[in-house]
Amino acid sequence: MKAAIVGGSGFVGGELLRLLLRHPGVEVVQVTSDSMAGKAVTRAHPNLRKATTLVFEPHAALGRADVTFLATPHGQSMERVPALLEAGGLVVDLSADYRLRDPSLYPVYYGRPHPHPELLARSVYGLPEIHREALRTAPIVAVPGCIATAAILALRPLVAAGLVGAGPTVVDAKSGSSASGRDAGPAGLHAERSGVMRAYAPTGHRHTAEIEQEAGGRIALSCHAVEAVRGVLATVHAPAARPVEEKELWRAYRAAYGTEPFVRIVHESDGAFREPEPKLLRGTNFCDVGFAVDRHAGRLVALGALDNLMKGAAGAAVQCFNVRAGLPETTALDFLGLHPV
Amino acid sequence: MTECPECEAIVENHDKILGEVFPCPDCGTELEVLGTEPFAVQPAPKEAEDWGE
Repeated sequence: MKAAIVGGSGFVGGELLRLLLRHPGVEVVQVTSDSMAGKAVTRAHPNLRKATTLVFEPHAALGRADVTFLATPHGQSMERVPALLEAGGLVVDLSADYRLRDPSLYPVYYGRPHPHPELLARSVYGLPEIHREALRTAPIVAVPGCIATAAILALRPLVAAGLVGAGPTVVDAKSGSSASGRDAGPAGLHAERSGVMRAYAPTGHRHTAEIEQEAGGRIALSCHAVEAVRGVLATVHAPAARPVEEKELWRAYRAAYGTEPFVRIVHESDGAFREPEPKLLRGTNFCDVGFAVDRHAGRLVALGALDNLMKGAAGAAVQCFNVRAGLPETTALDFLGLHPV
Repeated sequence: MTECPECEAIVENHDKILGEVFPCPDCGTELEVLGTEPFAVQPAPKEAEDWGE
């Protein structure tokens, strides 16, 4: 299949290219970027030297492809998707523009009404672990947010098993600097960011809406920037519906993810990495999930870890594309990670 | 086969011998073989990190 990437000069665009250039079912025919039009893609993504001779083209030069990956900032995909659908190709949108099913939430979380609310019903939220069957025929794949993916995959088995009680569920998320994108601004300067444990969104983070949509319940999300380039760790604190034994959690997570290729249950009794650790997941498409029971406080703790550019963005996009195209889901996503790293 | 007493993972015998200690494939708990016919395991005793200090 011929693929195009719109907005290919950012970190997510680069990660998509890294994966798609080695994908046996894909030929990348076009990569667009207005800011880098005319320059080799390896100027923005030097890790791809010798792997491609592609040159960035302006967005206006975008042609038809079998699949178009939109790696543009939030707000831009809203307008591009209708023309892409009309042209007949599959759309995989890595922005937030088609993630929320309820149009009334876009002004609340993204500051503007959705210009094409009628298309939201044609979009499928890109978590194969929940929506695999719908993804097989989806015209639009809406790739989830990175923090949302970690939180949803950690929390959802507890909700599905009826183990979460009344009251808000707190999600405490830490993320690395690449989650801010290539144009992060002054707060992302090394001199400002190095060494921080910055609470950049104690309340009101946009991913709140996605987590509530996919996991259910009332979510209280707090987000922090930490000293890492890649990685998200979501620590979920949920009120227990009743006294719970740890074996019940094993059963709940096995029921949810026992056959999933990219979700691993990590809750070990010994060793340096007993619970999910984002550092071990750099470059992989895994989301590791773990859990613990706090009998003292009547609390369930769930953990979700991933690489924000992989299972949190480009890797998830390729996984969804594989599902949509009828290919083995792990195609081009089989990297196991590095250790030590 | 039997179940891990800690996490209920399926644990296979695979020619293990009485007294052998091996890790559970899911939760990593060190398990000790109590019997082979029928196959039975229990968490192996271990030293605490702080030696009780």
